Amino acid sequence: MSAQKKRNFKIEAFKHRVELDPNYAERTWRVLEHAIHEIYNHNASGLSFEELYRNAYNMVLHKYGEKLYSGLVNTMTGHLKEIARSIEAAQGGFFLEELNVKWGDHNKALQMIRDILMYMDRTFVPSNHKTPVHELGLNLWRDNIIHSSKIQTRLLDMLLDLIHRERTGEVINRGLMRNITKMLMDLGSSVYQEDFEKPFLGVSASFYSVESQQLIECCDCGEYLRKAERRLNEEIERVSHYLDVKSEVKITSVVEGEMIANHMQRLVHMENSGLVSMLVDDKYEDLSRMYNLFHRVPDGLSTIKDVMTSHLRETGKQLVSDPEKLKDPVDFVQHLLDEKDKYDKIISKAFNNDKTFQNALNSSFEYFINQNNRSPEFISLYVDDKLRKGLKGVSEEDVEVVLDKVMMLFRYLQEKDVFEKYYKQHLAKRLLSGKSVSDDTERSMIVKLKTECGYQFTSKLEGMFTDMKTSIDTMQGFYSSQYSEIGDGPTLAVQVLTTGSWPTQPSAPCNLPAEIVVICEKFRTYYLGTHTGRRLTWQTNMGTADIKATFGKGQKHELNVSTYQMCILMLFNSADQLTYREIEQATEIPPSDLKRCLQSLACVKGKNVLRKEPMSKDIAEDDAFYFNDKFMSKFFKVKIGTVAAQKESEPEKQETRQRVEEDRKPQIEAAIVRIMKSRRVLDHNTIVTEVTSQLQSRFLPNPVIIKKRIESLIEREFLERDKADRKLYRYLA
Amino acid sequence: MHKLGRGHRDKVQQFMAITGSSEKAAVQALKASDWHLEGAFDIFYSQPHIRTVTDSRHLEELYNRYKDPYVDMILVDGITLLCNDLQVDPQDIVMLVVSWHMKAATMCEFSRQEFIGGLQYLGIDTIEKFRDKLSYMRSELKDEQKFREIYNFAFGWAKEKGQKSLALDTAIGMWQLLFAERHWPLVDHWCQFLQVRHNKAISRDTWSQLLEFAKTVDLQLSNYDEEGAWPYLIDEFVEYLTENGIVQRGQN
Repeated sequence: MSAQKKRNFKIEAFKHRVELDPNYAERTWRVLEHAIHEIYNHNASGLSFEELYRNAYNMVLHKYGEKLYSGLVNTMTGHLKEIARSIEAAQGGFFLEELNVKWGDHNKALQMIRDILMYMDRTFVPSNHKTPVHELGLNLWRDNIIHSSKIQTRLLDMLLDLIHRERTGEVINRGLMRNITKMLMDLGSSVYQEDFEKPFLGVSASFYSVESQQLIECCDCGEYLRKAERRLNEEIERVSHYLDVKSEVKITSVVEGEMIANHMQRLVHMENSGLVSMLVDDKYEDLSRMYNLFHRVPDGLSTIKDVMTSHLRETGKQLVSDPEKLKDPVDFVQHLLDEKDKYDKIISKAFNNDKTFQNALNSSFEYFINQNNRSPEFISLYVDDKLRKGLKGVSEEDVEVVLDKVMMLFRYLQEKDVFEKYYKQHLAKRLLSGKSVSDDTERSMIVKLKTECGYQFTSKLEGMFTDMKTSIDTMQGFYSSQYSEIGDGPTLAVQVLTTGSWPTQPSAPCNLPAEIVVICEKFRTYYLGTHTGRRLTWQTNMGTADIKATFGKGQKHELNVSTYQMCILMLFNSADQLTYREIEQATEIPPSDLKRCLQSLACVKGKNVLRKEPMSKDIAEDDAFYFNDKFMSKFFKVKIGTVAAQKESEPEKQETRQRVEEDRKPQIEAAIVRIMKSRRVLDHNTIVTEVTSQLQSRFLPNPVIIKKRIESLIEREFLERDKADRKLYRYLA
Repeated sequence: MHKLGRGHRDKVQQFMAITGSSEKAAVQALKASDWHLEGAFDIFYSQPHIRTVTDSRHLEELYNRYKDPYVDMILVDGITLLCNDLQVDPQDIVMLVVSWHMKAATMCEFSRQEFIGGLQYLGIDTIEKFRDKLSYMRSELKDEQKFREIYNFAFGWAKEKGQKSLALDTAIGMWQLLFAERHWPLVDHWCQFLQVRHNKAISRDTWSQLLEFAKTVDLQLSNYDEEGAWPYLIDEFVEYLTENGIVQRGQN
C-alpha cells in the first residue's frame, strides 16, 4: 500500500464581492436622516419601517456603523436644540407643559428610531462600546434640554415654586408634576437627585425652619404638634402623588428635623401646655401624638422619658414628704395607688405600652417610695384597712385586683423586712380581734407574698392562721370536757399562740378578776393535760371581753372591751369610786396602757361608761373614777376596745426600727459566711456586692454595717485577713 | 587569732564577750558578715547549731532569784528586781522586746518555761550577759520586720488573760510607747479620737491594721482608699481628721 497524501480541503467563507458604490453609505444615511426628521416632525406615517430597517442593517453590515451612529447623534442633537428653543420660548406656566409635551414626543420618536436601528443597537453598539440608542436618546435629552442653561434653573425654580404654593394652600397640577418628576427619574437617579431632590430638600428645610419658628412663638404645645403632624402627613402624601418613593424618608426626616428635633426641648418644657401639663391633665391624644412624632427623631423618646421621670420623682417626693398627706396612712397609700394607675393608663393609652417607659415609671416609684422610711408601715396599714372592712361587699375579682395593685407597691419597697414586721403585728391584731373581712382574702394575700418573697417570708404568718384554727378545736375539746362546768360563770374563748410565730410583746399578766381566774385555771389544767411539756402564759394585753352592764335607769348594754378594761370595770362591782392609784394597784396594768384604757372608758363621748373627776382629758395620779350611772347609748352593743391597728407613735417607731436593725445583723453575717464558705478567698468590695445582691429581696444593707459584721466575724475567727494582701479575706473552716 | 588584724581581733573579742561563743564561731560569723558586728550577731543567732551552751545551773539560780515566793512564776516584784539588776526602767520598751523573745503570754509575769527558755535561746546565763544584750535588743526595734512582729505580739501580751480585746487605756499606752520608737505623727490624734468617739476596747484586727495604716498612708491621707477594706474604726478616724480640719485631704 502506498501512502497517499491527502490534499487538504478548505472551503472558504463566502465573501460578498459586490463592490459598493462609494456613495452608497452617504445615500443610505440620507434616507435615514430624512426619516429621523420626519419622525420628529410627526410625519412618521409616511415611512416604511421595513425599508428603513433594511437600510440601517445594510449600513452596519458594510461597516458603516460608525457613520450611522455619529449621524444619529448629530441629527438628534440638532432636533433637541430646536426643541430646547421652543421650550425656552414658552411663557410662564406653559413652560412645564411644553416641556412635558416635548418629552412625550421625544420618547415616541426615540422608540421608533430605536426600532429602526435595532440591528445596530444589537451588534455595532455593544462591540464598539457605544451607548445604546435608548439610553443615548435620554442622555442627549438630558444634556441638551434639562442641562441647557436657559432651562435648567427655570425648571427647578418652577418646580420648587409650585411645591411652595401647594404648601401654602394652593391647588396645583399634580399630574403635570408627576410627569416632570418621572421624566427626571427616567433620566437617571443622579439627575433626579442633583437637579431636583437635593435643592428640594434644601428649600424644604428652610421653609420648615421658618414655619416652625413662627408656630412655636404662637402655638401651645398641643397645637404645634397637631400642625407638625399635619405637615408630615402632607409631605408623605405629596411624595406618593408626584415624587419618587425614595424621597419619602428624606423629606420626612427634614420635616422631623426642622419641626421636631430642633424644638424638642422647648416643646416639652412649655409652660402650661408642655409634657408635664399633658401628664397632669391626662391628655391622652396629645401625649400619643407627641410620642409618635418624637419616636421619629433621635433622642426624642428619651427626652420625653427623662422629663416624665423627673416630674414623677418630684411629685412623688412631695407626696411622701408632705406632712399633711402623711397623717392618714391609708389615704397616703391610696394616693400612691392612684398615681400608679394614672401613669399605667397613660403608658398604655398614649405611649404604646413602651417598655422603657414602664421601667422609668417603676424606677421613679421605687425612688420616692423609699424616700419615706415609713412606707412599709403605711402599706401594711392600708392592707390592714382593706382586710378589716374596706373590702366588704366587694366581688372576689375586684378584691384580687386591689391586692395585686398593693403587691406592685410592695415590690418597690427596699425594706421588705420592715414591712414583714408590721404586717405580722397588724395581722395578729386582726386575727385576735376577729376583725378580718374574710379568711379567704387573708390567705390570698399570704399566697401573693409567698410568690413574691418565698416560703420563709410567710411561714410564720401561716403559723398564725394554724394557731387560730387549732384554738377553735381546742375550745371545742375544752367545752365538751369535764372542766367546763361552770354554770353561769363567764364563757371563755382562748386562742393559744405559738410563741415563735406571733409578734412578741412581753408583758406581765395583770390581775384578773376572781371569776375569770377560776375559768382560766380550768383551761390551763385541761390544756396541759392534753399537751405535756408546754408552758402557757396569759397575754392579758391582747385579749377582749364582752360584759353585760346595767346602768342607773336599768338600761342594759353589752360592752365590748379589752381585757385590761374588763379588769378595771369589774372593780366597780364592789366599789363606787376608785382613784387612779387604787385601780393601778388592784389591776397591776402597766401605767401607759392603764392611762390609755381609762381615757377610752371615761373621756370619749358616747363611750363614757366611767366618769372622771376632774373632767380633763389627761389622767393624773389623783383622778377619781365613778361608774357612770347616766351612761346612754342608742346601741345595745357598745364597742370601747382600743385594739385597732394604728400608725405607731414616734417612740414605738424607733423601737420597731431598732428591732429590725438587730434582726438584720445575723442575716448579714449569715450571708457573709455563706459567700465566704463557697468562695474561700474574696476581696472586700466583692463581698459587699455579693452580700447586697443576696439580701436585696429583703432590704438594702448598708456597706458600713457589712464592714462591721466582717470585723466581728474576724474577731470570732470565722474569717481572717490574707497575710500578703490586706484587702483579701479568707474563710477559716 | 594572730592571723587577724588588730581591728578584727577587737571585734572578735567583743563578739565572744557578748554572745559567749567560741573564738571559732566568732570568726566564722564575723567573716560571713564582712566584719560587721551587727550582721554577725544576726547570723549567729539565726543559726541554731552555733547556739552557745548556757549553763543551766546558772539559769536556775537566776530564775530563783526573781521567782515569787508563793507561785512558780516571776511576778511584778521579781520583774522590778530584774529591771533594777539590768539597770533599766521597767517601763522601758526593751522589756517588751525581752518578753517577745521569751514568748511571754502576759505582761508583768514570766513563767519558768518562758524565762529560762527565752534566756537559753538568747544564750544568756548571767546578768552581765543579759545587760550586754540589751543594746542589741534595742536595735532590733529598728528592723521593719521585727518591729511588726513585736508590735503584733504586744497586743496579745498587753491584754487581759481571757479577754479577746485590749482595753483602751492599755492600748493607748502601748501605742505611745511603740510609736515613740517608730515615729508616726498622727498617733496623738488617734488616741484622742479613740477616747472621744470610741471609748471601747480595741480588737486585734484594728490593732494590727493600724500599723499598716501608719506605714502605708501618708500624712495628707492622699493615698487613703475608702474602698481599701480598712477597719471601720480607721475609716471613722479619717473622717474625724477631715471633719476637724486636722488634715486637708488633697483630692487629686
